[in-house]
Amino acid sequence: MPVTDPVLLKRIPTAPWGDPKKRTIVGYDEYVRSGGYTMLEKALGMTPEAIVTEVKDSVLRGRGGAGFPCGVKWTFLPPPDGGRRYLAVNCDEAEPGTFKDRLLVDFDPHLVLEGIAIACYACRLDTAYFFIRGEYRHQAKVMENALREAYDKGIFGTGGLLGGTSDFAVECYVHRGAGAYICGEETGLLEAIEGKRGWPRIKPPFPAVKGLFGRPTIVNNVETLAAVVPIIEHGADWWKGMGCESSIGGPPSFGPKLMGVSGHVNTPGVFEVDLGIPLRTLVETHCGGMRGGKKFKGAIAGGVSMGILGPDQYDAEMDFDIGRKYEVMGLGTACPTVFDEDTDMVAVARNISRFFKNESCGQCTPCREGAQWMFKLLSRIERGDATTKDLDLLLELAGSMGIMPGTTICGLADGHNWAVRTIVNKYLPEFEARVKPYHVPVSVTVGAS
Amino acid sequence: MAWIVKPSATTQIERRNEPYLTKEMRDGYTADLLPRYETSMGALMPILHDVQHRNGWIPKQAMEEIAAFLGIAPADVLDTASFYEEFHTEPTGKYVVGICQSIACEVCGHKAILDHVRQKLGIEPHETTDDGKFTLLALECLGSCDTAPVALVNDDLHEGLTIEALDAVLDRLPD
Repeated sequence: MPVTDPVLLKRIPTAPWGDPKKRTIVGYDEYVRSGGYTMLEKALGMTPEAIVTEVKDSVLRGRGGAGFPCGVKWTFLPPPDGGRRYLAVNCDEAEPGTFKDRLLVDFDPHLVLEGIAIACYACRLDTAYFFIRGEYRHQAKVMENALREAYDKGIFGTGGLLGGTSDFAVECYVHRGAGAYICGEETGLLEAIEGKRGWPRIKPPFPAVKGLFGRPTIVNNVETLAAVVPIIEHGADWWKGMGCESSIGGPPSFGPKLMGVSGHVNTPGVFEVDLGIPLRTLVETHCGGMRGGKKFKGAIAGGVSMGILGPDQYDAEMDFDIGRKYEVMGLGTACPTVFDEDTDMVAVARNISRFFKNESCGQCTPCREGAQWMFKLLSRIERGDATTKDLDLLLELAGSMGIMPGTTICGLADGHNWAVRTIVNKYLPEFEARVKPYHVPVSVTVGAS
Repeated sequence: MAWIVKPSATTQIERRNEPYLTKEMRDGYTADLLPRYETSMGALMPILHDVQHRNGWIPKQAMEEIAAFLGIAPADVLDTASFYEEFHTEPTGKYVVGICQSIACEVCGHKAILDHVRQKLGIEPHETTDDGKFTLLALECLGSCDTAPVALVNDDLHEGLTIEALDAVLDRLPD
């Protein structure tokens, strides 16, 4: 069964169900009028264990990029010991090409807050920090206002959830970041909430055991928490009716997904579709096709760190198997940036490399230094000053930094090297045409002297 | 690039008699921010945001005052303030114009816009005009890729930019 009605975008008009121009911020009153906070009430009538089981049964996979099952993550928490336990909501949506969480926070912040309240109740977490990136200034204000309304109406606060319906009390605060991509990494985010520089921590211990201020902490993406609300409403089986099973025997990709398309398409924007939708369908039916009727050349799979889908992968299914099927790192945030036939892929690689160079936190040497080198090499190739040897060096560098070869703490370097390697491999002739052959001058004396 | 070493050891701190953290601000932080976090340092980023919002940038003297207020070392405050790109540790212009240069904006034509602003203001990215009105920044993704190219002028995001549209925005700003 495909997604026939909007699930997360119920109150946010989006094509094909509504006109995006008619979007307005849904305040508390309007949210409650349209059935809001009734699922929190329903959840408070359930045991916390039953909620965790329901979410686990739904196989809701994290919407922030890694696709880790949310319910399983929740079960990693140790039993309550009377001390504080935290929820850190990851709204550090800084990956180039990604803008799906912004839509939820922009127009329906109470849906996110209801998801936060349910997750806190289910996991016995008493404090939630809504970490929002510094550049989302308007969105931070919208969230602050929504939170003030929620406190006024007794959703959060010392009186207990939902005006004292439950004894369990949750505090929720907005914490603004300040322009560092690395804070989207879960442990970097925790450091930022503690007021330190956003340097990712070595794992284990995982945040569920020892996170914020050394206490058990769950880190969830905004969209994941918002999805908990409809799962409580309709149940796990309903959720599993949307999306798709894995075609290669891996874990399934159930549920609808927000996908934000940008780049060379006629009507870019965020759409709610089934996981598993072919990229071609997403572009042709939801985004009005390629801009100017041009040909498809490639698309970033979901945020630049995931790598690129080549010209022959226009029909790639957008689900969590994409990484194993189409030589990219994964689905990421499912926000593709689409390129038409006129795009210079060397410039694309150079742009992505500059991003990772600027955003490396500087903690691990392979990433800090390697990123600089890769950017310099790509700039040289773009200028036309490079030789074939530089291309080899670029690929060698890319292959030697990241978690996967085991040289860095977090995955930022993997994002960098996957992006560059997939672009170079899938558009190799374009790169080769830009580099000069590498000749070693050799002089040989023949005969006796 | 958050990790570039700043010459903090030889830095001269400019001082003024009047403190940056007024009593009213301290009382506000004590009542509102400190209870939110388990350690006092947790309140550091909200305080830095607040000081920057009031002052436009974060002077070293303010960092020392924040450190004394939170009971942490001034170096810890500098550590955090210098890591995050959005915290300005040098004076900025009255209007900070940040033009997005990430992938969606690049393929949708950010370069023409950035070049135009460079010429119009006569400054390169990360410089401030002599009259102190504008600071130009080239920023990474602003999270509005569907309406690329975009620019952030102080707190306002301007989407779907053309050269004319950005001109109109900049020309409207009072001195």
